[in-house]
Amino acid sequence: MSHAHPQSLFVLGCSHHETPLEVRERFTLSPERIPALLQEFRHCDELTESLVLATCNRFEIYAHARNENALDAIREILCQNLGVETELLNAYAYRLQNLNAIQHAFSLAAGLDSQILGETEILGQMKQALAIAQEFENTGPVINRLFEKSFQSAKIVRTQTGIDKGQISIGNIAADLAKRIFGKLHKNRVLLIGSGEVGQRTAQALKNRGVHDLTVSNRTTENAQALAQTLEAQELPFQNLSQSLHQFDTIISSTAAPGHILSREDFQTAQRIRPARPFFLIDLAMPRDLDPALDSLENCYLYNLDDLAAIANENLARRNDECQPARTLLNTQAWQLWLQLRRRALMPAD
Amino acid sequence: MFENIDLSDRGVFLTATSLYGLAAALGLYGILRPKPYPRIGVLPLVGLAFLIQTLALNLRGTVVGGCPLGNPYEVSQFIAWSAALLYFIVGPACRLRLLGFFTAAFAAALGLTATLLPSWDYPYPTGRFGGEPWIELHAALAIFSYGVLAILALVSAMFLLQQHGLKHKRHQGIYALLPSIQQLDTIASRLLITGTICLSAALIFGTLFWLENPDRVPGFKLSMTGIVWLGYLLVLLLRIRQQLVTRRHAYATILLFILALLSLWPVQSARQPGSLKATPDLQQHP
Repeated sequence: MSHAHPQSLFVLGCSHHETPLEVRERFTLSPERIPALLQEFRHCDELTESLVLATCNRFEIYAHARNENALDAIREILCQNLGVETELLNAYAYRLQNLNAIQHAFSLAAGLDSQILGETEILGQMKQALAIAQEFENTGPVINRLFEKSFQSAKIVRTQTGIDKGQISIGNIAADLAKRIFGKLHKNRVLLIGSGEVGQRTAQALKNRGVHDLTVSNRTTENAQALAQTLEAQELPFQNLSQSLHQFDTIISSTAAPGHILSREDFQTAQRIRPARPFFLIDLAMPRDLDPALDSLENCYLYNLDDLAAIANENLARRNDECQPARTLLNTQAWQLWLQLRRRALMPAD
Repeated sequence: MFENIDLSDRGVFLTATSLYGLAAALGLYGILRPKPYPRIGVLPLVGLAFLIQTLALNLRGTVVGGCPLGNPYEVSQFIAWSAALLYFIVGPACRLRLLGFFTAAFAAALGLTATLLPSWDYPYPTGRFGGEPWIELHAALAIFSYGVLAILALVSAMFLLQQHGLKHKRHQGIYALLPSIQQLDTIASRLLITGTICLSAALIFGTLFWLENPDRVPGFKLSMTGIVWLGYLLVLLLRIRQQLVTRRHAYATILLFILALLSLWPVQSARQPGSLKATPDLQQHP
């Protein structure tokens, strides 16, 4: 069994990297259980500081240990709270100490350790975890400084590298493209045809970026009603589709129709009513719902599933290229924090 | 140690042009590198170039005793200056990213062309506009409208680039940094209205001068200016009627601006000393 050094910082955790989903499910820490866990850690004599980070892809305990029994104490408290065997935790959990722990926190904040490389959601989750730990007075000079510095480093990395450049989910890519066409999306009128899952996610991504005016249309009225309720949208009768096209700016189509449901002629008619306003057409159906000949229409921008996937792959490749420069930058920042903590005698020499 | 530095107005103009070129190069570097586009850098350089160009225009204006718009060299410098001035108004007001880069590139190209063609900077009678308020106003408004129309052409070029990127599924580099086509289209429309109004006003004041002095305005200049004005007026009317929109509108405004620039040469040729009826002192510039 490995032990922590006296006065050391460490991370104990499980993540999507090494732990399969079915095991991660057993390690799930609901937000309601975190305060109780933090209180137990606070009353633990072996710990001077602690913080719990729980997301859908990981749970991590950050702790500053007073003595070498701290790690065992944490394992025990954690397993009791999760209701899992210590052997299971030992089989999947990683433990990082001192400089490695700092480097890990910095990588995490910058999104380098995330399932979606470079994503920014983790930063908010870390900030929330710090706020909760501070509320329960579980943090002190080491963890406070570690997290604040990791937030700063994440910002530096995002400014100086392209680690978060380019979206990699279909919904966000479509939202980015909509912004390239229309700019601000709050006045954008979006029509979702069909009830395909990717289509719904794309509509949701557009709503998240400011779209207020969302309409749904489905061949089956019940499905349309359910979808309208889910997305807080209006309904458009399916048979009125082609006559109503001019009312919309972005059209997402993801039906299971065997052929094209909207033709070039339908859009030509709509364009005569509003020649200066562009159409953004997102065809997520297989087989395609929209006539590919629409792409040749002036002021019509047609993207199908392959086009969006190609953008996602290209963006991901670019993010991967930025990984090494980002890591180098973060390691330098982590090393500086490590030296600072050592100078203040808050860390031992490894 | 400073005695070898060229402090003539041409030297100052060249310094301004070099700074515009540097700003354009910096902007291009920002576009090509994978990191986020630098928010600062281009703006201060264009600002510095603009100030130096203002100084150069002031130096030249002092020598010629009026607004320095007497030959193609001066007109080119004035249009570049006017475009930079408009960039400082339009850029922040409309939050148009990359307009600084495009303006710097345009001003550098125009300034460099004028510098590389010494024949453009020919002598002309000084005090040409002195004591003629209508023609002074006409010239100032005409050049200001050219600045607006220059920015319009740049915005149209940005529109065409963005549209090309969206149509051909390009999303990296410059395409990711350009403003949205809708925003560019709206701004182009506003600039077209502003530019046409300014040009029309310039022509009205020019006409007042022409009515008083019909012999002093060459017919060729009059017809070329009229063609350019009619062109913009036609584009504006078609735009209002929604018959000339988006891509075709962008091409029309770019082509018209090229025509407007090209028309400067015959217009200025028609104003060369030999063609003037009244010839006050001829001032040879360095």
